[in-house]
Amino acid sequence: MKRYGIIFLLVMLVLSFTGIAAAQAQSTMEKIKNSGVFTIGVRPASPPFSFINKQNERGGFSNELGMLVHKGLEKKLGKTIKLEMKETTPATRIPLLTSMAVDLVTETMTDTRARRDSVDFSITYFVTGAQLIVKKGSPIKGAQDIAGKRIGTQQGSTNERVLREKYSKAELVTFPDQAAAFMALQQGKLDAYCNDGIQLWGLKYKTPNPDQWEVVGNYISYEPYGMAMRKNDSDFRAVVNNALMEAIEGGVYFNLYDKWFGPKSDVPYPMAQSTKDFLLLQVVPK
Amino acid sequence: MIFGFLGMTYEFRWSVLWIQPHLTWLADGILTTLRLAAISWAIAVLLGIIFGAMRTVPFRPVRSIATAYVEFFRNVPLLVWLFFWYFGAPEAFPEVIRQWFIHHGIEFWSAVAAISVYHGARFAEVIRAGIQSIPKTQLEAGISSGLSVAQTYRLIIIPIALRLIVPPATNESLNLLKNTSLAMTIGVAELTFSTRQIETYTAKAVEALTAAALLYLVICLSISTVMNRLESKFAIPGLIARGARAEH
Repeated sequence: MKRYGIIFLLVMLVLSFTGIAAAQAQSTMEKIKNSGVFTIGVRPASPPFSFINKQNERGGFSNELGMLVHKGLEKKLGKTIKLEMKETTPATRIPLLTSMAVDLVTETMTDTRARRDSVDFSITYFVTGAQLIVKKGSPIKGAQDIAGKRIGTQQGSTNERVLREKYSKAELVTFPDQAAAFMALQQGKLDAYCNDGIQLWGLKYKTPNPDQWEVVGNYISYEPYGMAMRKNDSDFRAVVNNALMEAIEGGVYFNLYDKWFGPKSDVPYPMAQSTKDFLLLQVVPK
Repeated sequence: MIFGFLGMTYEFRWSVLWIQPHLTWLADGILTTLRLAAISWAIAVLLGIIFGAMRTVPFRPVRSIATAYVEFFRNVPLLVWLFFWYFGAPEAFPEVIRQWFIHHGIEFWSAVAAISVYHGARFAEVIRAGIQSIPKTQLEAGISSGLSVAQTYRLIIIPIALRLIVPPATNESLNLLKNTSLAMTIGVAELTFSTRQIETYTAKAVEALTAAALLYLVICLSISTVMNRLESKFAIPGLIARGARAEH
């Protein structure tokens, strides 16, 4: 009897993970139309893309792009839809999408071929690459100097993967979130912390004394950001892409860019001409 | 194999668990978990015996010190202790020692410190319960036969107590092993970390979580089996009254 009990428990365990197909398969558009709620995946501390500001409000560049998609959805469905924001991390965002807890991940997620096995991406809305942040005066000037050094990364990030594969001589210390990694760097427990360049600039400007920190080195990787959604859901994907294309075409995108990355913003990050051309070329005719 | 997954189709790919380098990550993760648990367990048991015994001795100041240790360390969540031992405690050390630790696995040793001190406090309570279940006359008999209090504890009380507390100690040991999974928050690449790593590389959450669950289950069942053997081997006839051997 005892033995059957264990087998029964194991079966229950596996079944509870798979969630059992109780719900009928429904498209994201149907789900949003029926529930009247559109849920986007955001982050609490990833300025200037997605963060909670000093007034305790959610803001950021990609949050606002998510709001544009929300408007596009309301127009398409012809009814008012409630916009909800749910916190995600690099490790939880894909499971949250597949379990339907989140409809669109609008935070800084790099579009990769491996990830396209499990999710679909919108058109690219931002381009950056991995760099390193170090204390001012550090001997590390770029990825060429990191052999034998303690380099912090964030679990589930593309940077972690690139470092593991291309710079295997560095000693990687991987944390579940950016706050812990950056604190370890501040305390001198790490020699450098690796993340997408723009995120490191955001991090630098958020610290009490930005002058003490330097973002160094050429791009170690190519990180095009896209919004992630469930696979094989082309009606929804079209709504997302159309909203982004309209924003790029009509200039709203560039106004937002100027607001968050322009010369007067906290994190000035001038857009390369090639990036601008690339963004415009993604916009297909009406 | 395709399953419905909350309305979406989910395609199982169990091979993500044994293709390289994932298999190496899992193996490294298991080894780190076992090493972390074994070292922390040894220290926790030692702390438990010392403070558990101190909690029962007939001298008030000694009892107070032990009570302070137990109440302080068991009443703060382990996760908070992990952050304290990683971000806080090392900063108090002289720079030379701090640097040495930083280059010799500071994440691992901070986790050892956090887990062993926290579980030491919990073990102390288990051992205190064991000691207090021994009739007071044992201590009195020991002292009247010419032994000092320390000798009575070392030679009589603690050996008996340790044989009495195997079942709750097993419980604590299993908790300790499972609690090592929290060490990933300070960058220790243990078993949960490895399975999360596979998940983030492949987006195969079900496979990775199932692997973690089964591996912890196997490790914990092995520990319970060993502890049950110990229990029946060292049970003191007459002190633990039992109709039959516990079923396992």
